[in-house]
Amino acid sequence: MSHHLFLLSPSDTPLYSLTHFSAKASQVAPSALSANLPAWSTSAFAGTLTALSGASSVVQTSAQGGGVRMGGGQDRHVIQMIANASLDVIEDVVRRDNGMYLKSVDKFNEWTVSAFVTPGNMKFVLLHEGKNDEGIRAFFAEVWELYVKTMMNPFHTAHRMIGSAVFDGRVRASAKKHL
Amino acid sequence: MEYNAFASLAHFRILLLPVGSISRNTFDQWATEIRTLENLRLSDIPPGTKDEKARFMPSPKSKGYLHLCFPTHPPSSSHFGMSLFRPSHFPLGVIGIASCSQTDSLSSITAEFNAAVKDLFPPDCLYPLAKSCFVFEEGDGTTNLNLGDHLPGLVIIPSMMGNKKENIETLLADLCSNILAEFSTVTSTLESSLGNEHLNGSLFPSLPSAADFPIPLVDEEPESFLRLPSHNSQPDLSLGLIRRGTSPMLGAKRNPSSLVGQPAGSMRQSSLGPPTARKRQTLIGAASSHGRLFKVLGDFFLLAGRTEDASVWYTEAVALFKTSNDPVWYASALEGLATVALVEASGLGFNAPVNTGKEPWGDISEKLEQAIALYAKPGPLSESDQRFDLLAYIYTVAILRQGFLLFSTWAAKGWGPLAFTVLMHPGPGPYVLPTLSHPDSHLPSNHDRLSSISGVTRPQMAAVISQAHGPWLLHLGHRERMVILESIAYLYSSLGYRRKEVYILREVVGCIMDLVVCAREKAEPAFSSGITVNGTGSGDSGAVAVKGIERSTGNESVLKLVKHICDVHGINLEAVRFVDTANQGTEKEGGVPQDTNSDDLLEDPYGWPELQIGIIREALSVAEALPDPPSVAQFSLSALKALHTVLGDDDQYYMYNASSEALTAAKRRGETRVIDFWSGRPVISIELIQPPLSRSLVENPISVLARRKSEAAGRLPQMTDPFLYNPRKSVATRGNTLVVTDEPLEFVLTLYNPFVFDLEIQSLSLSTSGVPFDTKPISMTVPACSYHPVTLSGTPLEDGILVIKGYHVQAPRGAPREFLLPQATADEEDHRSRRQSLAACESGRTKYSGLDSRPGKSGKRISSFVSSSSSRRTIPKFLECTVVPEQPLLRIRWSSLTHSAVMLYNGEGSTLRLTLENVSSLPIDFLRLSFDDSTMAPARAALTEGDLSVYDVYETEYQLINQPVFSWDREREDTEIPRGRKVTITVTCTGKVGCTSGCIFISYGYLRRPQSNLSRPSETFHTRQVSYPVIVTVYHMLECHNMDIFPLVVGDYEAEKTPENRSQALFNDVEEEGWCLFTIDVRNTYGLPFEVTLERVQKGVAPASTNCTVAPGAMKRMILPLKKIQLPEAVTSQAIPMLSDRQFVVEKTKLSLEEDKLQRELFWYREELFKSVHGHWREAGGSRSGELSFREQQMTLPMLEILRTESTNIHLELFRRGTEADEERIPILRTGGTYYPAPYEFVYLRMRIANISLQPLVLTADTIVDPADHAIQEGATSGLPIGRLESGAERELETPLCFVACGRFRVHVEARAISATARDAKVGVATLKATVREDNPR
Repeated sequence: MSHHLFLLSPSDTPLYSLTHFSAKASQVAPSALSANLPAWSTSAFAGTLTALSGASSVVQTSAQGGGVRMGGGQDRHVIQMIANASLDVIEDVVRRDNGMYLKSVDKFNEWTVSAFVTPGNMKFVLLHEGKNDEGIRAFFAEVWELYVKTMMNPFHTAHRMIGSAVFDGRVRASAKKHL
Repeated sequence: MEYNAFASLAHFRILLLPVGSISRNTFDQWATEIRTLENLRLSDIPPGTKDEKARFMPSPKSKGYLHLCFPTHPPSSSHFGMSLFRPSHFPLGVIGIASCSQTDSLSSITAEFNAAVKDLFPPDCLYPLAKSCFVFEEGDGTTNLNLGDHLPGLVIIPSMMGNKKENIETLLADLCSNILAEFSTVTSTLESSLGNEHLNGSLFPSLPSAADFPIPLVDEEPESFLRLPSHNSQPDLSLGLIRRGTSPMLGAKRNPSSLVGQPAGSMRQSSLGPPTARKRQTLIGAASSHGRLFKVLGDFFLLAGRTEDASVWYTEAVALFKTSNDPVWYASALEGLATVALVEASGLGFNAPVNTGKEPWGDISEKLEQAIALYAKPGPLSESDQRFDLLAYIYTVAILRQGFLLFSTWAAKGWGPLAFTVLMHPGPGPYVLPTLSHPDSHLPSNHDRLSSISGVTRPQMAAVISQAHGPWLLHLGHRERMVILESIAYLYSSLGYRRKEVYILREVVGCIMDLVVCAREKAEPAFSSGITVNGTGSGDSGAVAVKGIERSTGNESVLKLVKHICDVHGINLEAVRFVDTANQGTEKEGGVPQDTNSDDLLEDPYGWPELQIGIIREALSVAEALPDPPSVAQFSLSALKALHTVLGDDDQYYMYNASSEALTAAKRRGETRVIDFWSGRPVISIELIQPPLSRSLVENPISVLARRKSEAAGRLPQMTDPFLYNPRKSVATRGNTLVVTDEPLEFVLTLYNPFVFDLEIQSLSLSTSGVPFDTKPISMTVPACSYHPVTLSGTPLEDGILVIKGYHVQAPRGAPREFLLPQATADEEDHRSRRQSLAACESGRTKYSGLDSRPGKSGKRISSFVSSSSSRRTIPKFLECTVVPEQPLLRIRWSSLTHSAVMLYNGEGSTLRLTLENVSSLPIDFLRLSFDDSTMAPARAALTEGDLSVYDVYETEYQLINQPVFSWDREREDTEIPRGRKVTITVTCTGKVGCTSGCIFISYGYLRRPQSNLSRPSETFHTRQVSYPVIVTVYHMLECHNMDIFPLVVGDYEAEKTPENRSQALFNDVEEEGWCLFTIDVRNTYGLPFEVTLERVQKGVAPASTNCTVAPGAMKRMILPLKKIQLPEAVTSQAIPMLSDRQFVVEKTKLSLEEDKLQRELFWYREELFKSVHGHWREAGGSRSGELSFREQQMTLPMLEILRTESTNIHLELFRRGTEADEERIPILRTGGTYYPAPYEFVYLRMRIANISLQPLVLTADTIVDPADHAIQEGATSGLPIGRLESGAERELETPLCFVACGRFRVHVEARAISATARDAKVGVATLKATVREDNPR
């Protein structure tokens, strides 16, 4: 089961991203409707379409013989598109919801999107497959703390990519712990 | 493009088909006419025969409507599997629309119509149930109408007919009546047991065809066996035959409308079904419950507008499905129920009962939710049932149905008539509700308001809609997929979920492009470059359909989609615009100024760089695949312009190459538009290269010519400014650069290329205004990622002001563009830096987030302060040159120096000659020389620093003015050089220690130009300058030391009267009093002997001189008697003068009044001394000579006192008197200055005291005899009163004196003035020497 974390600035620019593979098996079975997908065209555009519709991951699943799904082969571009698209809902929900943690705010293809919006309008977006509310909440809280610590660095500006190895290491550790 | 209306299950579809040679416009016109008939009143439908066919016929009094829908596209052929599952999906009837003119024969129209219908629908298809062809008469009705009677299904609508619409309505009603009758036929077939088995045979059954009947069902169903032969004999009429064999068991249900009052009865009937079904399972192997049959009946009743019956049948079906495992049909029945609920609600309109507890649509929504859940899990499917395409289709359609339900409720502000209208008849295109079409509708507040009114939230809708998206979309056919994707995109867009919309749109574009590419591959042989996609369709009907649906604008629409996608991701694909070569001039004016200051602001990046790059790549490949070369170029260049900071090297190379290839292709295809210049602002700065020194011009005011007088008066010319800090001076020096007409100018342009490829620029030229400027554009290549300077040259053709506004630049195959480049003045820089710091200050904060923060959106992130301050700006200042008329040119032809070096002894004077040649065609009538040498700069620096004492300041200034290294006597020289002539000038050089180099500046000009008219003479004139640097070597050879002044007593020298003393003659003139002796040591530090001469020039005294030869290394003392000097107080009390017009600086040293006075006296007497004594030297045995300067020598107070004439003159004299008291004075022997009196004898000392000062003095006198022990004086020796002496008066005193020992005596007499201060007292001193000897004569 894989998780994708993106820290997005208010101008929708990712400042940090992380792909985390957890040992837990995916709880969501692929939809019955998406079995036996036809390979209907070989043009590049068809490839885009296939990827965007989420079919590529399914195809891979069948190629690997089902079972545990590995997220490694999933199209990174599509993951990013989904994370970006989910901002629509996040922005909408944030205006009504006072909490910072937005649990399973959006669903797209097989992904569930959870988000965490800091008071500074930074959006932490996590794409995940299973249901793990408390773990994700704890994970977000830790990432937030790490993020705030990074931001307190006077040499770090708000819109710069977070390149700190310490930050990265700690986020990974936190992901390992909670996800 | 038809949209999946919510109520599509209740839509009575009738396909409109163009027949014959009807033009598209005519077809559209009639189709629109027909489409206005959305609802057909049930009561208007002519009741058919009262037999079985009348089962679905409305009773004349029923109130409902048939909801008509007129698609123009037949359903996809792969969907015919759903013919029984979802009859509403298919056109129940077909109307051919033909226009008949003279040439068309009606029979051929009929034949064509029939053929078209046959072509569109497979032969075993259930639909269409009825068809009809409307022939609209064209022209004036000359067609022979009578033929219409012979051709069944052909209706001619004459052009003369007044109310066509009513007529059409009637015709439609007839058609519908036929269709409703056919419904009965179909149901009766299904009601047969064989039919029912078929219905339950597979997931998507079709109507049993004749071939299906041989199944041996004879044992149980004799009726079907009986029917068999008839089927075989008359296969085409099977429908008609089957209806005869209706199952008696179900006969009771034939007219449920009559049973409305007793639903219990029908319930009872349905409960009878299942046992029969179970019996048959063994035979066919499928659930043969009547659930599916009931559901089909429900569908038909729904279509027939009889919602009550439909509801009853659906409920029955649902009850059956609940127990059996048939999720898909179950779900479909639920959908049907939901539709029924809506139709009923909309029929009631405002009178709809309002359930207070729950939203009225909640029930519908729940049913649909249930249906969706069922569709999502179709259960185990047998191999033959794996119609994933259909399953996925009905699943997504169901989701969209719910999505539209929620959306319409939301957008229509709740469950009401507006929502019903939208849900029932959305029309052929997307219907935008007024709540979403007003200008503020995109604001979140509007969305929130709608949510709070309707009780539907946007995330809720998004959650529903997103279920429709998944891998299963790949199962769908092209067209269905696009319809569904577009519906999703439409919903997201209406919700304001731009990013989601764009996600879907990318898929739509992918879909379209895939079709385009595939179609082209199929049609490859016929495909030639240049055919647009619209034309390629002939090979693939799918492609045509797609393109046609896409608003038929073809490529442009696809590109519009792509641009929209990019826009939402923060990429402006139109950042680089096209310029139409036709109206280029008008457009330029508005275009240029707006981005003059946009580039230097650091905007925060927007968006997701990785996504942006991916999307750009996709956009490019779309444009390439279309193919649309101009767009390829525009996209790639825009991307380069906007995103080059995030694009990788490969991408940049690729895009650059793609753009240049595309531009070439576009040009080849006759594209008239050209791309605007795209690479930002390539030139960073424009600078004028200063012309070489010999050509540079100086502007002088005419008044300079008059000012020469004061300069001659010995002022420092550079110190003309009386102020240390003059703010105007800096302004004056920053004036325009002066350039000359017809002489080439050179400008350095610094270009910047931020890209990783070499940027090619086809032409780059200066944009100027003012005087005509002759310049040629250049083409060049700016290396990758670097700053690159280029030089542009040109010639101003007239005199005046030349303004360099900016530059024209043109990329290869692009449009030329003018950029303005204001000069980087301090103001501008200041303004810019302020703006930048403001932007930097704001960069960390965000006022707008998300999509609002996209660049170029109304909510700009740069605060209003910045923009307002930038709008407040004054007119930008451009680089300006003043072009002056032609100027002469001079050059130095020859000089008397070799290697322009001069070697001098210190103080030596020499001359050098320069020959100047006027090489221009203009005469020179103004010539000035000025000089500089290496001693001047330090001296000036010392002066400006101001740490020097007044005395040193004078010394330094004196050096600068009176002892220049170079000088020129301009009075003696020619200052006019006719054209082409040569002139020689002579410059005097003086050696000055410390000077290592110098420079001669020759300024010249042409002043007295012929004035063409009576215009005012200009107040300025221009000069050029030639400079001639000189290397100066000055040998320091004679040093002066120890200048001193001694009192001169005449007698002292008598002893030294030796023949070899050559200076003896000097003393010839010397009087006894009023002289002093000037001495100085001269040392020769050089290797050659020098002859040194001291010269005395004093008023009233004959000039005298002394000379001696100073050998190398030797030091000689030189002596010169001087007459004492008396300066009037008016002179000595003057302050030490300043030689420059410097600003007066308050003295820092606080000297007392007396010290100050003393200093002034010292100064003035020193000056006087140097005027009196001059030193010269001459090379021994050589010709070189020069002056010896004493100015380094200091003057001390004792020297001053000796040099200065006393204010009283005391004359002393010794004499004796005769024996008797006679008055005769007997002089005492005197030799030299010494008296020889006898001892023990009274002698008299006579003092004659004269006041030679200029004011009266009150004096006393003291006499001191030394040694006093050996002399006797009478009376007082000190304080002898002399009294008041007027100026020039004198008085004598006598005092007796007796020397009582032999020896040498000195008698001092001091005159003292009685005044306030003690120091002033001593005003005169005189000494008398006496040698007392025994043998002195008495």
